[in-house]
Amino acid sequence: MMWLNTLKARLRALVRRDAVLEDIEEEMRAHVEMETQTNIERGMRPEEARRMALRSFGNVGRIRDLAYEVRGGGMVETLWQDLRYGLRMLLKKPGFTVIAVLTLALGIGANTAIFSVVNAVLLNPLPFAESDRLVALGQNEPGNRAALVNFSFLNFADMRDQSKSFERLSAYYNSNFTLTGQREAVRLRGTVVTAELFPLLGVSPALGRAFLPEEDNAGGGSEGRPAILSWECFQQQFGGESAVIGRSITLNNKSFTVVGVMPADFRFPIQAQPTQVWVSTAIDYERSIGPGSIMVERGYRGWRVIGRLKPGVTPEQAQAEVNVIAADLATRFPRSNEDMGIGVKPLLESMVGSLRPTLLLLLGAVCFVLLIACVNVANLLLERAISRQREINVRLALGAGRWRIVRQLLTESVMLAGLGGVLGATLAVWGMDLIIALSPEGITRIAETRLDARVLAFTALVTLATGVAFGLAPALIISKTNLAEALKEGGRGATGGIYTNRARSLLVVVEIALALVLLVGAGLLIQSLMRLQQVDVGFDPRNLLTFNVAKSVDSTTDPSQNAEFYRQLTERIKALPGVVNASVVFQLPIGGSGGTTSVVVEGQPVETMAIIHSVSPEYFRTMGIQLVKGREFTERDDLNSPPVLIINEALARKYFPNENPIGKRVRPGFSTIPVNDENGMREVVGVVADVKHYNLQDPPQPEIYFAQAQMPFSTMTVVARTATEPRGLVNDARGVVQSLDKDAPVYSIRTVEELLGRSVANPRFNTLLLGLFAGVALILTAVGLYGVISCSVSQSTHEIGIRVALGAQASDVLKLVVGQGMFLTLVGIVIGLAAAYGLTRLMSSLLFGVEATDPWTFAGVATLLAVIALLACYLPARRATKVDPLVALRYE
Amino acid sequence: MPKQFRCRPNQADLVSFRKSLEVIVTDQKADLLQGTLDMLLLKALSLGPLHGYGVIQRIRQMSGEMLTVEQGALYPALYRIEQRGWVSSKWGVTETGRRAKFYTMTKAGRRQLAREEERWDLLALAIAKVRQAT
Repeated sequence: MMWLNTLKARLRALVRRDAVLEDIEEEMRAHVEMETQTNIERGMRPEEARRMALRSFGNVGRIRDLAYEVRGGGMVETLWQDLRYGLRMLLKKPGFTVIAVLTLALGIGANTAIFSVVNAVLLNPLPFAESDRLVALGQNEPGNRAALVNFSFLNFADMRDQSKSFERLSAYYNSNFTLTGQREAVRLRGTVVTAELFPLLGVSPALGRAFLPEEDNAGGGSEGRPAILSWECFQQQFGGESAVIGRSITLNNKSFTVVGVMPADFRFPIQAQPTQVWVSTAIDYERSIGPGSIMVERGYRGWRVIGRLKPGVTPEQAQAEVNVIAADLATRFPRSNEDMGIGVKPLLESMVGSLRPTLLLLLGAVCFVLLIACVNVANLLLERAISRQREINVRLALGAGRWRIVRQLLTESVMLAGLGGVLGATLAVWGMDLIIALSPEGITRIAETRLDARVLAFTALVTLATGVAFGLAPALIISKTNLAEALKEGGRGATGGIYTNRARSLLVVVEIALALVLLVGAGLLIQSLMRLQQVDVGFDPRNLLTFNVAKSVDSTTDPSQNAEFYRQLTERIKALPGVVNASVVFQLPIGGSGGTTSVVVEGQPVETMAIIHSVSPEYFRTMGIQLVKGREFTERDDLNSPPVLIINEALARKYFPNENPIGKRVRPGFSTIPVNDENGMREVVGVVADVKHYNLQDPPQPEIYFAQAQMPFSTMTVVARTATEPRGLVNDARGVVQSLDKDAPVYSIRTVEELLGRSVANPRFNTLLLGLFAGVALILTAVGLYGVISCSVSQSTHEIGIRVALGAQASDVLKLVVGQGMFLTLVGIVIGLAAAYGLTRLMSSLLFGVEATDPWTFAGVATLLAVIALLACYLPARRATKVDPLVALRYE
Repeated sequence: MPKQFRCRPNQADLVSFRKSLEVIVTDQKADLLQGTLDMLLLKALSLGPLHGYGVIQRIRQMSGEMLTVEQGALYPALYRIEQRGWVSSKWGVTETGRRAKFYTMTKAGRRQLAREEERWDLLALAIAKVRQAT
């Protein structure tokens, strides 16, 4: 009941404000009159009686307000009043308002944009049913238990059969296919999956059906090898006609039956280039390596594994269970599984966990930018406050409570922040597009960045917090005045001056410290990027054109024909005008693929993993990879000659630390053709220099090179060194391929320099954004410092005038003003350096070749900031030297 | 001259006893004393309808001239207890023919008064016991 009465009163007060006030006033008038009457009856004269009555009543206005508040006029009414008043104040100083709103919009906009990316990449759940139960699994090595590397199929199968934590487990890997039999040969991005995958994800096909369990077996099910198309592929290649279900299509020269089409928004694996066709593991029984298919080679780790936990099972419990399984596998199969562990991670974490440091760094950086923006606006408010001090003082003298004044000033600042927030959100939409455009491919899900409800709620919260953050200190300072002092000082209005100046100095120090931290961060990233770009990749990346060719006929059926095809291709490419040299390679460095195999050295007990390459004889010369020992491959290293191998220095260091590896015998666990030697042993004939394979950061990995004629692949990468701009060669090269095999698609056409650019795209993205934010912070800080010093100069015109009148030189005045600013700067820099020293170690995982506390960066950044600050102080200081003592003294 | 307890609103302190035993009460926060003020008003009105000025007079009278409720405390308190439904008000005419707003205690007000008085008695008893403890 009471709340109903209150509500009624509030509404009445709001709607019929005048009537309610009138009622209160009349009641009070009656009260005063009655008291006057009593006083007269006690023998006072009428005027005196009335005066006494009024005096005893107290402050009529204040009591009326108090009473009015009780009767429901309170909050809403005052808020409305404050809003109107605030708006008038903002409109009265459009210059101030525009600058403040723009500054805030910049800060809030940057925060909104970065948060929307964080939201899309890190926070949004995966688009699968109950996605929090999905986990990624991987084998891992003793040195790096956190990393998840691929499974061998047998290890996966054993784990699947033994574990009890999972509802389902599925293994998959990406593999591209050439689709023929249509208008022209097309390369499709494919994924080989076990049948469990689709039910595991909880997604059904839009058309047709998912894979059946028996279709995982050799030869597939009753319809042969099954395939499922993506919606995009279904539309582009098959015109969206549902008759495609049940139709036979040709992938890699093998026939498949289309059994289903996935919905348009289905993506798995979630990657920048979505999968276009899924096939079952039936195909893998036809892909042999060495003695058997890749399904039975425990050392061939090619499978990624996803699982769905049973309800109520935590990833930690699952981890505990697979630890036992891993230990068991290691005991039973020491040769391939010694020291092997199995890791379980939430799927989302496994996808975006590595992006978290970058995104959190950027979020931290924009937070700093916003803080600096707040400091600047607080400074502006304080500057304006000096001119408003009189108004405030008068209101305080008339009985306004301090809280009332603070509330009104806060309303004003939150209004400013609100305007900044609205503009900021608008800027953010544009900023998001920019960030997405700049972002490298590796940032999963960044394209899904949207201004959704969560982002808007974040923006609203940030805006409100911003308004309070920059408004509270000025409001408290202004409303804390010694009234007696204030009114005595009269027109000069410098009362709050001492507090105000102290507060402003403090704010500038804070601002400089914040900017310094950001600049140090950016400086470290720039250094890392520069060092990364100077890394020796182990070959000469200039003027190298590369493209992939997928031969339409499977190589393994006729190895010698395959070798002949690529020999002819290389010869014809070499013959093109402008080409200096050309060769083919399986798995180009920095090209993004990294298939590995187990390697056993004769007489040594343990396997190691090495990256596989298969190259034509002139590959090392074409790339500029140095031969360290032994010989290169020749045309005579073919199927009729003894099997040979070239290893890199990293592998040589690992296995032959003190011996000459030439002539030693090594057995790789992988082969595309049946090996003719019973043990699959190959003789090492050469050692080449290390090259960077996966990225520029990591140390070189062990690698093995097969002779292309002894290890055929149907898909190879052509590398052509040109004398001119390599891109000019593309059409000619395409023509050569078509002339040899009209069904062989040419794809992934890139220069090696482009690939290198792509490999530093992530660090470059971080550096660019952090650099941008640091730059904005630097400008805001310089402007803030400039504002404070100018304001202090104009406030002390009188003092400067006296000094000049007493004989101070221009240089003395300059020293005085600049000295004041530089003192603040130095204090800020010292605090900032200490803060940066503590904070930069959080970003050490993003650094390369430079310590998080690199003294040179710290010193350089501090110097840069000091120079900028000097400039920001010098300009107002010069104005101070122009002060005419006559004018200055008269002015007062 | 008897010592006076004056109740009046003040923004700064919850309750403070100044040198002259002057009691300063905020109108918002001091539940105890606010409840006491409400109780005084209800007690005054329990004898019959009154206007605001009359409430002050009656409390003075009933306290033997020891207690004055200031206007600044009176009206907000009256409006508040009206909103709680303990009193109702309507405009009327005094015996001297002047227009004034009269407050009448409701049934809920009577119940509240009983509650407050009981609470006060308990409190007084408790304080007395504390003070007598050795």
